[in-house]
Amino acid sequence: MKPASSFLVHDRTLPAIAAAIFLLLLAGGAAIVQNEAAYYQQAEREARVKAEILAASISAALDFDDVIAAQEAVNAVRVDRQVRAVGVYGLSGTLFAGYQRGANMLPPEINESWEPGSAEAELIVAQVPVENMGERLGFVHLAADPEPLSNRIGRILLIGLLMIMALLVIVVLGVGQAALRSANRELKARADALTSANSELQVQVEERHKAEEHLRQAQKMQALGQLTGGIAHDFNNLLTVIQGSAEILRRPKLEEAKRFRYADAVAQASDRAAALTSQLLAFGRRQALQPEVIDINDLVTGMSDLLDRTLGDRIEVRTELHCDHCLVEADRAQLESAVLNLAVNARDAMPEGGRLTVITAPVEENGTLMVALTVRDAGTGMDAETLGRVLEPFFTTKAPGQGTGLGLSQVYGFATQSGGDLRIESTPGEGSAVTILLPKSVGEISQQKPCNEAQSSRRSGTILLVEDNDEVAAFAEDLLRELGYSVARASNGNEAIAQVEQCDFDLIFSDVMMPGMSGIALAEELGRLRPGLPILLTTGFSSEIAAAEGKRHRVLQKPYRSATLTAAIDEALG
Amino acid sequence: MCMRNRVFAVLLFAALSLGPLLAPLHAQVPQEEVEAAYLSKFARYVAWPSTRLPGGAEIQLCLVGQDPFNRKLDEIAAGETIGGRSISVRQVSSGRGAAGCHISFVQGSNAEETRSLLNGLDGLSMLTVTSARSGSVGGMIHFVVRDQRVRFYVDDAEASRRGLSISSRLLALALAVRRQGSR
Repeated sequence: MKPASSFLVHDRTLPAIAAAIFLLLLAGGAAIVQNEAAYYQQAEREARVKAEILAASISAALDFDDVIAAQEAVNAVRVDRQVRAVGVYGLSGTLFAGYQRGANMLPPEINESWEPGSAEAELIVAQVPVENMGERLGFVHLAADPEPLSNRIGRILLIGLLMIMALLVIVVLGVGQAALRSANRELKARADALTSANSELQVQVEERHKAEEHLRQAQKMQALGQLTGGIAHDFNNLLTVIQGSAEILRRPKLEEAKRFRYADAVAQASDRAAALTSQLLAFGRRQALQPEVIDINDLVTGMSDLLDRTLGDRIEVRTELHCDHCLVEADRAQLESAVLNLAVNARDAMPEGGRLTVITAPVEENGTLMVALTVRDAGTGMDAETLGRVLEPFFTTKAPGQGTGLGLSQVYGFATQSGGDLRIESTPGEGSAVTILLPKSVGEISQQKPCNEAQSSRRSGTILLVEDNDEVAAFAEDLLRELGYSVARASNGNEAIAQVEQCDFDLIFSDVMMPGMSGIALAEELGRLRPGLPILLTTGFSSEIAAAEGKRHRVLQKPYRSATLTAAIDEALG
Repeated sequence: MCMRNRVFAVLLFAALSLGPLLAPLHAQVPQEEVEAAYLSKFARYVAWPSTRLPGGAEIQLCLVGQDPFNRKLDEIAAGETIGGRSISVRQVSSGRGAAGCHISFVQGSNAEETRSLLNGLDGLSMLTVTSARSGSVGGMIHFVVRDQRVRFYVDDAEASRRGLSISSRLLALALAVRRQGSR
């Protein structure tokens, strides 16, 4: 609380209080003056009444010159201590009887035109005629002291006391009012401050929202850049293999064994590329795993060529297979992709080259038998902070364009989805070891069917190929003819409908994404036109696959190989 | 006793202090003149029945028997009005001519004669005045000289009996008053 003086000074109440005090003083003064005047009037009236009573009682004494009787009447008046002097004068103006306290209080002679002199200045003087039966007999002169000063001062003091009390009340009220107002002002100021602080806060929150929005946008762009860069990087790796192999294949007089090996390399690299795009598709739309029982040692052994080629000469790949007859149930393509992913990471951690070891081992985890597949490198390793973030999607330590940041998070997703786990150990400067843990399976090992060889018998029938891309169309046409089908080609939906109306086909094999009518629309249309006519759709777009599958159409995912195409056609033809 | 002493002391003080101011009014004035002055003034302090003194009627002041004032009364009465009434003075020898008088100053040559004159006025509604000079026979107002001053006694009982009312102010100046009921 502020001291009382400070809010008195800064307040409108002050002049109000001053005015009230001034008015009160004025009223008090007026009351005193009025009181005094009233008192004097009253005193004069009293003096006059006393004189009149005396005049009435001494008329006979004056008439009959009875001084003693007159004096007795006068003496009766003097009992009143305030009466200073009483004189009874005859008609001639001479003093007849009288009384005075103090010297020279009575004028020696008096007449009608008598005026009070200096002796009477402080006194209350009444002069009345003595009459009887209308006859004037003389005068009575009476001079009285005003009420003793002490009495009057007492009265004035009483008024003063009342005024002081009223003043105190006013001051107290004023001070109270001022205090209240000051408190109100302070409250209002605080409320204002609070309001402004609040609005400031809101502005800050908005700015922060904007900044966060910008940051999100920037992160999105960065992620997109990393993703595309990473995809390009991975694809470049695979293309390097394919281009190199193709170049060697073109050499004349190439040994048969070498020719097979490089053709095989092209096929494998293409498989990896397909796996990569399927991985990307899976990222956009969770793809169902197609688990099969796999011997983990066989898988690692089967991948060694691929690893050698992918990782280059500076990386020495070693395998330590400590898990004989270890079977796991997993999606083969995803598992291979995961191992390749880890291997590429290991290579990148060893820019100067080094040894990469792939280890398989049985482990027991919480009473469950698991199979561990570890990829260990002797690279730079990771610090604790990096280790804590490696599983985040899009997190990468590689330069832009060198990685998607999806690898490890994909691997982790695959491992957990398969009922296993992912373990990462790393020491900066010594290298890292990433272990995929998978539950050990007790099932029968699945036979990888050599599809094209097993079903190489020639087929017959007419297939309408609907495809807007001529290269893809030429490849598909060759493939279908090789299988024994006769093929008609349409480059869009309308063309296809026109042909269907003219000829009979055993199967319609159509792309989904085409200018004009889409493959799905075509399938709908043909379903009405030729109910029961088998239709096989093909596309590489994840959203289209979902849409087509949602409408119960058969869909072959691009890219396809002759084996998968044959299987899909067989299934469609029933 | 003590109270009276104090009153006396105050009176003495007042008298001493006023002494030089008070003129010695009666010192050289003869008793007859004072009585004459008083006679006309009595009318102011006496009320007659309205039948005796109708409005506007003059007051008749009668000298029954002798005239001790030597025509002085005529002069004084001539200059006197009582409540708008003038005063007429006449001399009557006996009660027979005094029937209309309002105030009668009765004086015989001796006390015996004064008494018979007074008796002649008996039953008349008038103020009778006598003086000690003509004996101790008293009318309603009886002049005496005390301390060299002319004073008077009042017989209020007799006045009431005759239908007169005498003002208490006058009674207050009397040496003594015989009141109604007292014997």
